[in-house]
Amino acid sequence: MANCTVRFMLGNHAVAHAALEAGIAVAAGYPGTPSSEIIEYIFEHAGETGTYVEWSSNEKVAFEVAYGAALAGARALVSMKHVGLNVAMDPLMSSAYTGVRNSLLVITADDPGMWSSQNEQDNRWVGLHSHIPVFEPYNPQNAADLVKLSMDFSSRLNHPVIMRLVTRVSHVREPVKVCEFGKPIYASGYVKDPAHQALVPANARLLKGELVKRWEEVKALVEDLPHEYVDDGKVLIITSGVAYRYVKEALEDLEVKASTLNLAASVPVPRKLIANAASKADKVIVVEEGDPVVELQVKETLFDEGIRIPVYGKAEGLFTMVGELTLINVREGIAKALGVDIGRVVNHQYVANVPPRPPVFCPGCPHAASFYELKIAAARARVKPVFSGDIGCYSLGINPPFNEQDLLTNMGSSIGLGMGVLRGTGGRQFIVAVIGDSTFFHAGLPALVDAVYNKAPMLIVVLDNRYTAMTGGQPSPTQVIDIGAVARAIGVKHVYTVDPFNVKGAEEALRDAIEKVKGGEPAVVVMRRACALEAVRGRGALVVRYTVDADACRACGICYNLLACPAINKLDNGKATIDQAACVGCSVCAQICPYGAIRPIGEPSGWLSKWGEL
Amino acid sequence: MRLNIYLTGIGGQGLITFASIIGQAAVDSGLRVTVAETHGLSQRGGAVDVHVRIGEAHSPLIPRGEADVVVAFEIIEALRALPYTNPATVFIANRRLIPPPAFRGKLPKPEDVEVEIKSRVASAYFIDAYNHAVKLGNPIFENMVMLGALFALTRVKELISMDTVEGAIVKVIGKAVQENLRAFRLGYSIASARR
Repeated sequence: MANCTVRFMLGNHAVAHAALEAGIAVAAGYPGTPSSEIIEYIFEHAGETGTYVEWSSNEKVAFEVAYGAALAGARALVSMKHVGLNVAMDPLMSSAYTGVRNSLLVITADDPGMWSSQNEQDNRWVGLHSHIPVFEPYNPQNAADLVKLSMDFSSRLNHPVIMRLVTRVSHVREPVKVCEFGKPIYASGYVKDPAHQALVPANARLLKGELVKRWEEVKALVEDLPHEYVDDGKVLIITSGVAYRYVKEALEDLEVKASTLNLAASVPVPRKLIANAASKADKVIVVEEGDPVVELQVKETLFDEGIRIPVYGKAEGLFTMVGELTLINVREGIAKALGVDIGRVVNHQYVANVPPRPPVFCPGCPHAASFYELKIAAARARVKPVFSGDIGCYSLGINPPFNEQDLLTNMGSSIGLGMGVLRGTGGRQFIVAVIGDSTFFHAGLPALVDAVYNKAPMLIVVLDNRYTAMTGGQPSPTQVIDIGAVARAIGVKHVYTVDPFNVKGAEEALRDAIEKVKGGEPAVVVMRRACALEAVRGRGALVVRYTVDADACRACGICYNLLACPAINKLDNGKATIDQAACVGCSVCAQICPYGAIRPIGEPSGWLSKWGEL
Repeated sequence: MRLNIYLTGIGGQGLITFASIIGQAAVDSGLRVTVAETHGLSQRGGAVDVHVRIGEAHSPLIPRGEADVVVAFEIIEALRALPYTNPATVFIANRRLIPPPAFRGKLPKPEDVEVEIKSRVASAYFIDAYNHAVKLGNPIFENMVMLGALFALTRVKELISMDTVEGAIVKVIGKAVQENLRAFRLGYSIASARR
C-alpha cells in the first residue's frame, strides 16, 4: 500500500490508526483503563479524516451511537474497558439480532490482573452469550491487522464483531506498519426497515431464526481467518491472544517440540481446523489469558468429532485462573503437561519489609479537602455514616486517614447501594453516597431519580473535579451541564454547591445538608473544584505556594495527619514542612492550621480564582 | 541475542519516555523490541514498572529473576525490583529517596539498600541523577541522566549506537532537545568514570 511506514507505537494507538485506515466514520467510547488511548488517538486525527468521534456519557450510550451509525450503514466502532461492556449489554444483545448495514466493531479492553479495575471478567464469554464473533490479537501489529480484517468480516456478514484486547496488548509498544488514513465510510442516508431494525416480539422471533443461521455462516467463515498453525510433532498447543507470545518463548526456553495453533478468533473457534490439527496429535494443551473459553470449545469440538486425546488447560490447574499469565507460569504448566524438567530454578522471592507505595491523592487534590470536610462535618453533626463509595480517583478515600469508602463495587453504585443499606437497616443507618462528576452522569442520574421518587433520606456528595480524572483527564459532561441545576430539576429540594477549598463554607453546607437528611429528605452537596493536575497543566508559573513558619508551628500534626497531602512532610521534631516542588497552592492546609503557621509566598487569590474558573 | 531491561520508579519520573526512547532507538537499529508498561494509577505517586525486551523475546513481560539490567529511578523502588535480578544482573540505581506518602513506619536507609543490592548482584552502580539534573536546571532531566548511565554501563551500547539513541531522544521528546541531550551525555560521562 502507498505511503506506509513503520512506527514504534502503543497497542491502543495501533488499533485506532488501523480503524482510521479502514475508513471508520463514527467512533464513540467511555474512558477506562486500559482502553482510553483508542478514542484519544481518534480525537487527535479525526480532523484529518472527517471522522465523527465522541466521549459518551456512558458505555451504553457510546454503544448506541456506534450501533445506530452502523444500522444506518456507516462504519462504526465503540471502545471501552471490560466492565463497561456490562453497561452496554442491552444494546449489544440486540445488535446480534438486527445485524448492521456496514460494520460495527466493539472493542473491549480487558484487565487481567485488575491493575485498575474491580474485577477481571473475560469478555470473550459475551461472544458466546450474544452470538457475536470475538477477535483476539496478540500484539500491536496483529491488533492493527485484525482491526481491518474484522471490520471487513463485519461488513461482509452485516453482523457486529467484538475485539478483545488485554493490558499486555493495549499497553505494549512495538513497531507497527502504519499507512494512510482511508476516507470515512458514512451512510448516504437512512433507509427504513423496521422488520429488521425494530425489535417488537413478532420481528424479534423471526430475527432470532436469522441469527442462528448467520451464526452458522460465522462459524464457516471463521475457518478461513489467518490462524497461525505450525505442525511440529505430536503435542498440539492451542492458544489465543497474548498467551501465544508466552507459549512461543516457553517452548524455546524448555527446548521442546510442539505443534502450535494460535487462533485469530477465540469465539467461535475454527472447529474443522482444530479437529484436523488434533487428529495428528496425541495430546492437546490450551493456553489462554483469562477464563477457559477456548479450552471449553476445544473440548466440545474433540468430543463431537470423536477425538479421544487428553486436553490440558485451566481446568486441570496447569495455568492460573487468577491474575495475568506469566512466562514462568506458562513454562511450568507446559513442562508439567509434557512431564519434562523445568530446567532452571528462579529466585523470585520478594525482599521483606519494602515499604508499600500505594497511589494517593495528588498534592492539592480537591477530593482530599472534601473528605476532610465531610469527616469533620459528620463528627460535629454526631452522625456515624456509612460511606457508600464509587469508581474514580476518590476511591482512594478508602485509605487512611480518610476511611470514607465503605462500599465500592461498580460505576454509579454509591447512590443505589446506599439506598439499599438504608432500606435494609429499616432506615436506621445514616448514609452518605460519594460520587464523582463523570460517574454521576454515567450511572448516578437514574439512581438520584430513584432517591427522589422513592424519598430516600440520604446525603449525596458529588465530587465535581470537572474532568474524568482517573483515566487521564478526559472531558466530562459537567463542563457544560451544571450538576446542582440537574439535581434541583430532578426535584431535590436541598442542593448546595460549594468549593472544597473554602473549608469553613464547605463544612457549613455539609452540616446543614446533614440536618436536612435527618429531617427525612435527600440532600445533594456538589463540591466543585477542578482536578489539581489539570489546573497546574500549562499554568505552573501562576502557582502561589505555601510554606510553614517553623516558629509558629506547634507540631500538632493536623495538616499531615488529617489531610495527608503528599507535599506536607513531618520533620523529626514533629513540625511540618512543605515540599515546594510538590505544593500547588490549594491553601487548604493553611486554612486548617489552628496556629496560622502556614502562609502563602505571595498573594494567593489570583491563582486560586484562576483555578476556580475551570 | 536477548536483553531484558527492567525499569522501576514512581509515576512522573519519566520512565515511559525513557522506555520509548530505547524502543525507538532499537527500531532504528533494526532490532526487535517490546515495551510493556503498567498505566492506571501511575499519576498518583504510585510505584511504576516498565519491561523493555530487545532481541529474541516473545513474552511482553520479563520473568522474575531474568532481568539482565535493572534501572531503578528511586532507591526504595530499587529494593522492590530485587526479585527480578539474578547474580549476573547489572543494577543501576538513582540514589534519590522519595518517601512513600502517608507511610508511618521506618524507612530503610539508602546506605543499607546499597549494601543489600550489592549482596545480590555482581555489578551495582549508584548515580546521583536527581542532583545532576537539578544542576542542569530541572529535575525533569533525571531520566536522561539515567539513560546516559545505562549506555555507559551496559551492553546496550553494543546494540544501539550513541548517534541512534541521541536521534531517538530528539524524535521522542521533541522539546528542550539540547538540555535533554546534555543530561544524557552528562549521565554517560559520570557513569563511564565508574566502570
